[in-house]
Amino acid sequence: MSTLGRLAGIALFCLTASPPASSGASFRAPRTADGRPDLTGIWQALGTAYWDLEGHAAQAGAVVALGAAGAVPGGLGVVQGGEIPYQPWAAAKKKENAKNWLTADPEIKCFLPGVPRATYMPFPFQIVQNPKHILLSYEFASATRIVYMDKPDFESPVDTWMGHSRGHWEGETLVIDVNSFNDQTWFDRAGNFHSDALHVVERYTAISPDALRYEATVEDAKVFTRPWKISLPLYRRLDEHMQLLEFKCLEFVEELMYGHLRRNPNK
Amino acid sequence: MSYRFPTFAMGWALAAVMTLTGPVYGQTPKPVAKTKGAGQQQAVALTPWGKPDLRGIWDFATITPMERPSELAGKEVLSEQEATEFERQTLERRNPDRRDGGAEADVGRAYNQFWWDYGTKVIASKRTSLVIDPPNGKAPPLTPNGKKRAEARAEIMRRPAAGPEDRNLAERCILGFNAGPPMAPGAYNNNVQLFQTPDSVIILNEMVNDARFVPLDGRPHLPPNIRQWRGDSRGHWEGNTLVVDTTNFRDETNFRGASRNLHVIERFTRADSETLLYEFTIDDPATWTAPWKAAFPMRRTAGPIYEYACHEGNYGMFNILAGARAQDKEGR
Repeated sequence: MSTLGRLAGIALFCLTASPPASSGASFRAPRTADGRPDLTGIWQALGTAYWDLEGHAAQAGAVVALGAAGAVPGGLGVVQGGEIPYQPWAAAKKKENAKNWLTADPEIKCFLPGVPRATYMPFPFQIVQNPKHILLSYEFASATRIVYMDKPDFESPVDTWMGHSRGHWEGETLVIDVNSFNDQTWFDRAGNFHSDALHVVERYTAISPDALRYEATVEDAKVFTRPWKISLPLYRRLDEHMQLLEFKCLEFVEELMYGHLRRNPNK
Repeated sequence: MSYRFPTFAMGWALAAVMTLTGPVYGQTPKPVAKTKGAGQQQAVALTPWGKPDLRGIWDFATITPMERPSELAGKEVLSEQEATEFERQTLERRNPDRRDGGAEADVGRAYNQFWWDYGTKVIASKRTSLVIDPPNGKAPPLTPNGKKRAEARAEIMRRPAAGPEDRNLAERCILGFNAGPPMAPGAYNNNVQLFQTPDSVIILNEMVNDARFVPLDGRPHLPPNIRQWRGDSRGHWEGNTLVVDTTNFRDETNFRGASRNLHVIERFTRADSETLLYEFTIDDPATWTAPWKAAFPMRRTAGPIYEYACHEGNYGMFNILAGARAQDKEGR
């Protein structure tokens, strides 16, 4: 194991063993011009949280023609305590969502993915820090979020797909409070969902030069019995000349959504 | 405010608007500083790393047209009085809340004033076109090839759409109509937020919420086989001006008829605390007989930039296609 790897390992241990306030205390990120931890860069989650936040064994996919390429890889899960604490009605709804994945998941229609889902999709995203505003720019569907660092009292005038984000720094950690969601987005491809009462608190902490610890506390009194939390690492994309490319997926779903309205359908 | 718009087919699928931007709420327009040429600019604020500070939210709404209207041929600049009259006439002509045109006109105007945000003023210089070169204020003539493509597109737009690909990119929610590159004032969402780091600039247009990453580290453009709807941008500083060079477009991007070989050069210069000068050069020999250039000022605004979930609410496309199928049945 490299020194870096060991350091990351230690940081990880500290994270899981100590309260959030000391998250990543063993690594001090480089600083931006205004003296904040510099989280600027292009990041991506590994793992299979985008399939299912909860732990799951590998399983067959929903599209027979895709064979092994469409199968679901297993995952250890990223939910603290293992299970999402649904209210009984919501647990039933989640099951129904899972059963109807191909027609019900907004990702399949290329809709804006919401938060925290955008973070752990199998696409990179970019953090750009300016003192008053932080930009989170996602490759999937060209989704973007502006994080207001200077307006703690600024309430969103409208509901949104990507949430209304207000941030502040707690030592090494960027904390983002996200609300004003609509009820249209999901958390993953397993049908995990929320209502428009969703409130997410995200924490981004550098744990090494090339990794962040991402934590999100999810609160929604209409759907869950208590707040719950996910935690996963994000890795810097080290590819030479890395840049987000366009993934304007709506071009790829026009046939799915409008094909029946063509002059010559199925053509 | 989701799902509140009228659900009928429009010429433009502006019905796709979910979260629109109106005039920035609760805010009176700030005084517009006199536009200054790049040569006579005031001292501008710098970033901590010593480059002109372009950060902030900028509003580029104006009713000055891209190209000089024929009735103003030979008239480069309006007087104060002429500008006031031009503004009055334009706003009156565009006002969809008028009810003086009969039933058919009323249907066309059902997308009423509430949805539009062209701005109400001509640009500070009172030039009669945003095009500054050629000096006649009009884009140069199309090449034969450019003309042929323009005619083919016009023909497709005239007939009922066989599928979504027959409609324009704004109706399909792929690009919108003013985010560029190059940016060009349009019907609404004329707002852009600039982010800056020592080695990059990010241009975030409210229109379709597209963030355009502009690396300043001297890296080469993407290889020619990777084409993108918004091309591929690279930037560098020339004195106090940020120069952004964009290539690698797709054929379908089609900025005012441009081909995939379109080369856009944008120049951003801070003129004063409230004004950012924006200039672009269009170079596409496959489409125009000469390069051409436009310029306009952007004014600082408090914002915020709103989420513009266009595709998510695109009932317009369903209705356009359903309407086209109904027309097919009637044999129109």
